[in-house]
Amino acid sequence: MIRLLRRASLAVGIMGLVAAGLRLRGTGGTPPQSGGWRELTGPDLR
Amino acid sequence: MRIAVLGAGAVGSRVARQLASTPGVDALTVVDPGAGVVDVVCASLGPVATPSTSLTLDLAGHDVVVLAGPGKHHRDQAERALEAGASVVSCTDELAPSRLLLALDDEARVRRRTVAVGAGFAPGLSDLLAAHAGRLFDDVHEVHVARAGTGGPACARAHHASLRGLALDWRDGAWVSRQGGSGRELAWFPDPVAGQDCYRASLPDTLLFAPAFPGLLRGTARVAATRRDRLTAPLPMLRQPHPEGLVGAIRVEVRGRRGQAFETVIYGAVDRPALAAGAVAAVVAVAVASGQLASGAAGLAVLVPDPLAMLHELAERGVRCARFAGSS
Repeated sequence: MIRLLRRASLAVGIMGLVAAGLRLRGTGGTPPQSGGWRELTGPDLR
Repeated sequence: MRIAVLGAGAVGSRVARQLASTPGVDALTVVDPGAGVVDVVCASLGPVATPSTSLTLDLAGHDVVVLAGPGKHHRDQAERALEAGASVVSCTDELAPSRLLLALDDEARVRRRTVAVGAGFAPGLSDLLAAHAGRLFDDVHEVHVARAGTGGPACARAHHASLRGLALDWRDGAWVSRQGGSGRELAWFPDPVAGQDCYRASLPDTLLFAPAFPGLLRGTARVAATRRDRLTAPLPMLRQPHPEGLVGAIRVEVRGRRGQAFETVIYGAVDRPALAAGAVAAVVAVAVASGQLASGAAGLAVLVPDPLAMLHELAERGVRCARFAGSS
């Protein structure tokens, strides 16, 4: 019984570590390849 | 016009400052339970401003009440304002208070008063930009809003909590609940904020702008967050929030059909969130008091008939917007 509990807690711990790794790593995409921001001034605000 | 500002924190004090320098504002009541704070704010605004520490202040005689305190009080404060015959401008950026305020739509229409929900940086300025962009299209298919940065402490707490709540996405004509903190996407804001990973969060933005675009297929709202923000989101805030955040930004991406072509327009803005929110709330309050906005409870994308004029007014007050030109 103790052995089963140890194995279960180990499995849950490993799953938690994998989930945390997946949640924290990675990237949301790529930056713009061209272009840029241009301020909207009087005549541009149309 | 007579206007009351409830809350004299990072946003409320900016709203009061903007209103005090607006022609046509005859009287300004600034209400905050902190006696020292409200006295200092009013002393800097001149004779037009009157301080009060009474949260149960009689609001009768005011044309507009601006709600700039914690969002959890906005519904009760809005009801009191409507009963007193005043219109309401709420600066909340939280989902639950926004829902409660939108539920006042019938009462506001019956009383012929306006309840402007989400009159801040985002939602607020983001709604004006989305509405303006929407006018460039024959059909708007998608609206995606992202924001980075926070205003005062209440805003920082709301940002922290939003990552553990449920996000509302508008998808193919129906609301879809998604887990906050999911859906990582790199959003490119105007400099100096630039690229930030953004995530779904419990935000009111979609709820506020979706009704303004009949035929909208997709609407999303995301907030920039760090890995630490996401990891600690289920916990209480581990340290006191800062008195005021640094530079923040918003990004509004609108996709749709113009003629035979399918196009994308991206607008953005960079500012201190509390500063920009103060300007937006003040401009909206003056528009409400002048009778320019329809009665009812809704977001700015629905209520403001001429977003371009309001963007011009904000530009004169120093809130600058930008357009992304090029491929994203």
